[in-house]
Amino acid sequence: MNIDPVTLALVQNRLDHISRQMGFVMTRTARSPIFNQSHDFSCFIADAAGTLISQADGIPIHTGGGGFTVRALIDAFAGRIEPDDIFLSNDPYVAGGNHLPDWVISRPVFVDGELAAWTCNRAHQSDIGGGAAGTYNPEATEIFHEGIRLPPLKLFERGEVRDDLWQLLLLNSRTPELLDGDLRAMIGSTRIGAERLAELVTELGREAGAGYFDALLSYADQRFRQACEELPRGTYSATEITDNDCFEQRDIKVCVAVTVTDDGVKVDFTGSDPQMRGFKNSSLANTHSAVYMALASFFDPDMPRNEGAFRSVEIVAPYGTVVNPRPPAPLTMCTVFIAHEIVHAIWRALGEAVPSRACAGWGKTIHNITSGRQPGSTEPYVMYNWAANAAGGAVEGRDGFNQIGLLIALGGLHLPNAEGYERIYPAMIRRQEFRTDAAGAGTFRGGSGVHYAVDVTGDATYSFRGEGLDTPSGFGIQGGGTGSAGTMHVQSADGTTFTAPKYGVREFPPARLEASSPAGGGWGDPKQRDPALVLRDVRDEIVSTEAAREVYGVVIAGDGRSVDMEATRAARG
Amino acid sequence: MKPEAAITPPWRIGVDIGGTFTDMALIDASGSLRVFKSPSTPADPAKGVVNVLEVAAAALGVAVGDLLRQCRLFVHGSTIATNTILERKGVSVGMLVTEGFRDFLEIRRGLRADQWDHRAPFPPVLVPRYLRRPVRGRLDRDGSEESPLNTDDVRDAVRFFEAEGVESIAVCLMNAYVDPVHERQVAEVVSAEWSGRWLSLSSEINPVVGEYERGSTTVMNAYIAPKVVGYLERLEQQLQAAGLQQSILLVQSNGGVVSAQEAAARPVNLALSGPAAGVGALNLYRTLTGIDDLVAMEIGGTSCDVTLMAGGDVPVSDALEIDGYHLATPAVDIHTVGAGGGTLAGVDGGGMLRVGPEGAGADPGPAAYGLGNDRPTATDAHLVLGRLRPGPMAGGAVTLDEARAARAIEDHVARPLGLSVEQAAIGILRLLEQNLLHAVERLSVERGYDPKRFTLVAAGGAGPMHGVAVARALGCERVFVPVQAGAFCALGMLWSDVRLDSLRVMDGDLDAITADEVAEGFGPLLDTAARALEREGFTAAEAEVQRVFDLRYKGQQWSLRTVVPESGETLDRSSIRQAFEADHERRFGHIQPDGKLLITALRAVATGRIERQAPKGMAERSDGGKPVPQDHRRAFVDAATGWADVPVHASDSLLPGHRLTGPAIIEAPTTTVLVGAGDELSVDDHGNYLINIAVGGAA
Repeated sequence: MNIDPVTLALVQNRLDHISRQMGFVMTRTARSPIFNQSHDFSCFIADAAGTLISQADGIPIHTGGGGFTVRALIDAFAGRIEPDDIFLSNDPYVAGGNHLPDWVISRPVFVDGELAAWTCNRAHQSDIGGGAAGTYNPEATEIFHEGIRLPPLKLFERGEVRDDLWQLLLLNSRTPELLDGDLRAMIGSTRIGAERLAELVTELGREAGAGYFDALLSYADQRFRQACEELPRGTYSATEITDNDCFEQRDIKVCVAVTVTDDGVKVDFTGSDPQMRGFKNSSLANTHSAVYMALASFFDPDMPRNEGAFRSVEIVAPYGTVVNPRPPAPLTMCTVFIAHEIVHAIWRALGEAVPSRACAGWGKTIHNITSGRQPGSTEPYVMYNWAANAAGGAVEGRDGFNQIGLLIALGGLHLPNAEGYERIYPAMIRRQEFRTDAAGAGTFRGGSGVHYAVDVTGDATYSFRGEGLDTPSGFGIQGGGTGSAGTMHVQSADGTTFTAPKYGVREFPPARLEASSPAGGGWGDPKQRDPALVLRDVRDEIVSTEAAREVYGVVIAGDGRSVDMEATRAARG
Repeated sequence: MKPEAAITPPWRIGVDIGGTFTDMALIDASGSLRVFKSPSTPADPAKGVVNVLEVAAAALGVAVGDLLRQCRLFVHGSTIATNTILERKGVSVGMLVTEGFRDFLEIRRGLRADQWDHRAPFPPVLVPRYLRRPVRGRLDRDGSEESPLNTDDVRDAVRFFEAEGVESIAVCLMNAYVDPVHERQVAEVVSAEWSGRWLSLSSEINPVVGEYERGSTTVMNAYIAPKVVGYLERLEQQLQAAGLQQSILLVQSNGGVVSAQEAAARPVNLALSGPAAGVGALNLYRTLTGIDDLVAMEIGGTSCDVTLMAGGDVPVSDALEIDGYHLATPAVDIHTVGAGGGTLAGVDGGGMLRVGPEGAGADPGPAAYGLGNDRPTATDAHLVLGRLRPGPMAGGAVTLDEARAARAIEDHVARPLGLSVEQAAIGILRLLEQNLLHAVERLSVERGYDPKRFTLVAAGGAGPMHGVAVARALGCERVFVPVQAGAFCALGMLWSDVRLDSLRVMDGDLDAITADEVAEGFGPLLDTAARALEREGFTAAEAEVQRVFDLRYKGQQWSLRTVVPESGETLDRSSIRQAFEADHERRFGHIQPDGKLLITALRAVATGRIERQAPKGMAERSDGGKPVPQDHRRAFVDAATGWADVPVHASDSLLPGHRLTGPAIIEAPTTTVLVGAGDELSVDDHGNYLINIAVGGAA
């Protein structure tokens, strides 16, 4: 088929415009804060075969998973996919899901009676049953403890909702009202997308449309191969650990060997540890997403984000390991941890290959979830302590962000205002301020992390997920230093102080939660850092005068406002 | 330009300082409307104002002093606030914050412009951490004092600021949106202890919930105040010394105007001064056409500003972003995209055609100028397609060289893609127009408006070239092309009203709140609004204050603004709910029939209507005959029509009552209009063009 380059560019923009519009509908119509505030969803478009062709909107760790879901339901419903059907699925083992809370609505788009494409919305539900409220059950040892499992199923048959099924879904959630509203928002966004996509394919003609979709995949493939030309041929290996299995302290490895050849990139996880007891095992879809995210973020930000971009990437994820577990291993946490470790492992490996693109490690978040009842009422609340989020790592030319959203969103999750929280939760926030001497040193330093303190005024349940506690997680690179680990304590009104576990659920009377969030890693030799930037850090109390002298070799003058250049030259040799 | 006829006093003047030109519009007592232009003088913008007055005075044959003395209304839109932000030319700011919260300004809620671009740093924080000083004292969410303000902390900080050479102080304390008491105590101490003049309190700048957005806005206010207010004071003195009898009025980001004195209290509200005057222009076109639903594309050299008027209203929100800084200041929803005459085209490493968002600007400009840019722009594409006239333009300031344009397209687009120069030029413009289309859709479709119902206003120097194509793709039936397309904002200033937005955060349940509580809640807002309008010279009878609820269903994070109808002592809950539901349905496609509606804020929108007369129609009218083109040119019209021998009309030969059927090209002093095949153009009484789009025309 003859591809007109102008039409190709128009189709690319239009697909991206459509997937953004779907996201806009979702953001504005969803009921629960997790979508409209935290944007924990992704809208995407797949071709008739289930290959992802556009995902302009959505969080990075969702990027590689879309195709798995659609292909799983095409397999399940082969020959029984009809116009105006709407599909729902979530299961990581049978439905191509990444983890159970992310439900995917998939809508086939028919043109001239033939399946032409899919519009889909993957969104993290507020509650899906399981052993703990809010979808994360840190005590899960089987997927059955994590919520309702959905194989690919038809939620609508030829435009008719299956009411009994809808009721079944609501019955399995602790927040049926939110689930009901959010499902409607998801469906609405795929409807808008499907209408617009049908217009596009009709204009192009169904067969020509398929040809253009293929051409877009090939274009992305081409762009990725070009980017990889920057990587010297060879094999780069790295290991990243998580220091616990959610129950006990023990190192669990993610091993990766990235081999760059003329034909593409092979990412081999052979040597990674067997699946763990806790819920950080990564589904295959999530492992693929994490790999794609690590690769895409290593290169330029305008890399096309469709499945074609990764056509030349081969992933080897041995069965039964933390990156591809056997059922019924639990895995709800995987989109954050162990995705973070997978990205880190690949960044460490590639950082050796191309120093100028090397990315230092980001702190692993420690934010916990506090839940209880609103004072004087039976109304429940669930408060994510996002303000205890960690810091980012440095790259050449930019210090790490002192506090930023999760690595797996590349910081894309918004942090709340303390005032906004105080309005809706029975809590008073006391502190959210940068740490001193926690940032990984470097020519470009890591982010500092923050001190966070909140008074929770009533009895409450604390669900901990402190992956970044105890062990430093923001690794330095190219000579940069490692960021400090996090800490977390609960001081209850009765005067006792409790040190938070990595994972677990506890109850406390009114209490103050105090945390220091993990810092990010530095890039390059700290002795090469511009003394003016070190002075600014000292004045800003992010670096102490002592650390300036000892780590950075910068001597601050007695007035505290200038650099003693002579002493600095001497200190730096 | 034709010699100007005498003008009839008194008159009104609007002056808009743009990046390249300073535009002036004048309407006299007879309704005669005139437009003047002179180059902007970025180093001293006030000089540009004086220059354009001199240009106008010379053309009108009057002295500048007389021009000013007989002026009853002088409205000014200035980029001074925007440029101070973009060029980082503000002053050193010290910030006072609640103990424990030194860093929200720098954390920025983690908001990333492009989350995939994790290598991009945030824009520099405007107050370094060492100048953000903590103060003890805390209010809770209800405004109750949990611990008193520690005035010693304030004194210490002020001494520190003195030593550090701070010129302007910003204050943003926790929960100050509920109660300004602590911030006012800070202000007392600062006034007593500090020699500086500039103090910005978050509770006064805009008391929205959210320390980040409120604080960021307050800091920006403090950062630009000395520059902006200094400029306004100098300009006003200068103009008054030269004869002006009035206070000057400034266009604010909310599209309304306000006196320089009032503007000085919140200069951050001027961040969008200039583009926001588009609201006034839409008011004018609404008056002229009788059409309430307008969507404007103002396309200049590098970008396109899209503004939407639905039912005569242009939406205002509190979420402005300028160069990565978040400002919770009342601002018209304007969506800007990098698509203009100077937008660059090229091919990326994967062989994909790219158009924008980068542009070649006015200098070096399109490749056809031959001034140092050899990459093709939209203007170059129009030139090789015969739509623009080769040779000298803009009075000979630049020359359009067709061969240079063709070479640029050949080298950078056609050859890499295996296309002819013509195909490449068509492709560049199709992509540009797709970007324009998507920009208009963001403001219409995504807000629940059907663009087919709207008339597209094609303004700016480059707008009229694309109006017909974009309208056709959107399904709009009509395009309105103002004959003074290039002076969109200066004209708008003459049709702007005084407008003041204020808000008060409040928690309430629509079904439970009493009419008394509502009245009590609005009381202070209405008083403040009435006093402000009085200061602007409007009596209570002339002032109009609209009461607005911010409403949302329980659990939602965003509110919609719903006007509270005047209904005496009672509160008309059902009509409020209906209005909310209609808006919700339009935007989101669904409602929750019995959903609990929460009130999250009260707003007052105070408007002082400036009395004005409609512009006078042109004296000459067509004699009923067909307009005669000055010549014909081979030009590419659109995909369906292809190349044609297109009649080219000079704009001054088109008179009220004239009609023509496209394809046609109209050449005006500051713009060129392209009319598609079968489109019907008519000239209104003022010389503007209304184009009815041919149904079933080319896509």
